[in-house]
Amino acid sequence: MPIAITRRHFGCSAGTVLSALACPEYVSAAEADFPRHNIDFIIPKAPGGGFDNLVRVIAPSLEKSLPHKVSVVPNNIPAGGGGKGIGQLYRSKPDGHTLGLIDIPGSFILQQRQGGAAFDLNKITWICSMGRPEPYCVATAETSSLKTVDDLRALSKTRPVKFTSSGPEGTAYAATVIANKILGIRIQLITGYKGSSDFVVGAIRGDGDAVIAPITALRSLQKSKTLRIIATFEEKSSLPGVADATSLGQPDLGQIKLERLVGAPPGLPAGVKAILASAFSRAMGDPQAVTLAKKLDVELYPNTPDQAAARVRDSSAFFAKWQKYLT
Amino acid sequence: MLHLWLSGFQTLFQVRQLLFLGLGMLMGLFFGAIPGLGGATALALLTPLTYGLDPFTALALAGGVMGGVPMGGSITAILLNAPGTAPSAATCLDGHPLAQQGKAGLALGAAASANAIGGIIGTISVLAILPVAKDLVLLFGPPELFLLAVLGLIIVSTASRGKMLRGLIAGGLGLMIAFIGYNDITGVLRFTTGIQYLWDGVHLVPALIGLFAVAEMIQLSLKGGPIARDAGAVKITSMASGLLETFRHWPTVIRGSLVGTVVGAIPGVGGTVASFLSYSMTVRASKNPESFGKGNIQGVIAPEAAINAKDCSCLIPTLAFGIPGGAEMAVFLGLLVLHGMQPGPLMLIDHQVEIYGLIWALTGSCVLASFIGLLLARPLARLTLLDSQILVPIVTAVALLGSYAVDRTIGNVVVTAVFGILGYFMIRFDYPRITMVVALVLGSAAERNFHQTSMMSDGNLSIYLHRNVCLVLLIGIALLLAAPLVRRPQKLETAP
Repeated sequence: MPIAITRRHFGCSAGTVLSALACPEYVSAAEADFPRHNIDFIIPKAPGGGFDNLVRVIAPSLEKSLPHKVSVVPNNIPAGGGGKGIGQLYRSKPDGHTLGLIDIPGSFILQQRQGGAAFDLNKITWICSMGRPEPYCVATAETSSLKTVDDLRALSKTRPVKFTSSGPEGTAYAATVIANKILGIRIQLITGYKGSSDFVVGAIRGDGDAVIAPITALRSLQKSKTLRIIATFEEKSSLPGVADATSLGQPDLGQIKLERLVGAPPGLPAGVKAILASAFSRAMGDPQAVTLAKKLDVELYPNTPDQAAARVRDSSAFFAKWQKYLT
Repeated sequence: MLHLWLSGFQTLFQVRQLLFLGLGMLMGLFFGAIPGLGGATALALLTPLTYGLDPFTALALAGGVMGGVPMGGSITAILLNAPGTAPSAATCLDGHPLAQQGKAGLALGAAASANAIGGIIGTISVLAILPVAKDLVLLFGPPELFLLAVLGLIIVSTASRGKMLRGLIAGGLGLMIAFIGYNDITGVLRFTTGIQYLWDGVHLVPALIGLFAVAEMIQLSLKGGPIARDAGAVKITSMASGLLETFRHWPTVIRGSLVGTVVGAIPGVGGTVASFLSYSMTVRASKNPESFGKGNIQGVIAPEAAINAKDCSCLIPTLAFGIPGGAEMAVFLGLLVLHGMQPGPLMLIDHQVEIYGLIWALTGSCVLASFIGLLLARPLARLTLLDSQILVPIVTAVALLGSYAVDRTIGNVVVTAVFGILGYFMIRFDYPRITMVVALVLGSAAERNFHQTSMMSDGNLSIYLHRNVCLVLLIGIALLLAAPLVRRPQKLETAP
């Protein structure tokens, strides 16, 4: 199937290639040959989740967009909260044949907890992001008497509000801790749930009082009247009648977002980086990938390596401010 | 309700759907039979190929795979003591001793029929409970799951009757191994001794391949000769007797199917627990418990019925809330989403025809796979007549390759080898492997749920007394623990 190139995708590809051409180390025999063999796409999450699905959706389109015919092989390495997979990516040969899909801020927190021994996000070569950043929201069970953020604040005056969440390496954990610090809510976390579905159901079941998760994970539960979203962390709420960061008077909440970024090992040659960025940009314009990603509730949104690196820097700077509460 | 069942059935009964169902079933049989591959790998490979298919056909294909895997796993478990999938490990316990006695045909016949009947009972149970599926899933929180794990450990420990101390030692070792790796609650790495492979703990499938397949091959290479001890007495044609055995032991089939259905419907518990729990409960209920582990046909029927019943009911937490019961269901979840079906309470309302179609596909595949399994039983049973000089290198190589294939890690191969040696010594010194397996499966879940319960209740243990399901489970635990005390005086009274 021919890949339709939109103006945005063309601009993004052209920008990437031009910036690479300006780089003196661009043309080398190895880069001209790239890719020489299959690309190992590390997913530091278990099979079946949002990250895994997204890689499997983009892989066929990426294969079509690369200059030579090779396979893009998804490789799930979820151990150690994802730390093992990112560590493996970090230590791989920087030849473009190993890539990884990394979540921010989860990986940033993981790096802080491990003291930077396994990997350093600042040294990873960023290729692009996959999908727009996902905002978070706070929700309670439909049967709960807690219906507003003020209700949570009132409860926290008598006892800590219990939130169900992932382990400390998870982005949801960081989102829960930071959002409640911003909102001035005293909390106690019930951690250790396996994945977002698990801790969201924990909140519905009454294991905890509330939950903080990406809006996409809760939308269908809100529709089925199982869960009530009481506030989103968007600047302007996408859900009618639901409070947002602006109406809560806490614009900082808008910074709490889930980012999915494609990274390669440190020291990736600029030419290879350009080829990969351009291929990703075209793959994300492929109608098949766009349609499938939509079903995952993800809007594919290509950007340049520099934009991806800037996102990591911004996100790291924001979460670094809250580091003492997270590690 | 009935029209929905029929609509689901109709969607399946079209040439295209049936073709894909058969294709999936064959793939499931193959991937189930090769240790280490399993349904998750098959579904992960197939998912991109379903992008161009309509949702009904994609579900027929996935249902075919999931229905075929258990039968494939049972074939290698019985013939080679190499469980193709983790739940099939329970079938090894009595299935392989039957193969050693030259009764591979009998065991395969019983496994196939128990598989099919278990699948059908599972389907009926799921169809009955689907309308209340959401409430059922919400009944089981961390306190209930912790008590369920404790109950499972107690039931299994009683299966090692006569060698209780050895069973406890094996179980204790299993628990210690289960605690290795990343702690989900605190985010701390434990007992990894700096080895990165151990961050995710000891992987279950490579450990089971070692504990059963490699241990068996070590034993066979030392003993020499074929698997069937008396090659002249091998009865490959006794599959019909195997089929009849399943009907003769109908309480075992019903119990196994119900255990499978209940365990499958509980989020995050999984098939390995179902098969071992069903096996242990059958040992407990038997008047002749010492015959288990030595080739009791009920030891094949019980886990097989549970595995297939579980395959149907574990759709409930997956569809109702998107909580997968294992790796296979997690990948299947992705397939659902990619075909525009978002798991959640609304899916039970918006996609009823697809759900019923899927349930029928699973059942159809499981019956079809049992039939194919029976057809293949005769030639495959001849494997037990092969000399160890041919069989050992081939099976060991397949086992180690399968172990590597789980997630393409050389650490898996090392784990398989270590557990192979451990398994061999456990056989030699008569330590029950079942308690170790169940401790490996349940250990980390028990710990996690205990900590979560403590966080929920601020450390107040009375939470277990304030929840209805917890009370039922506590009574069950108390009865199980009290049973030997009640039985002993009775035995003394009846002793001459």
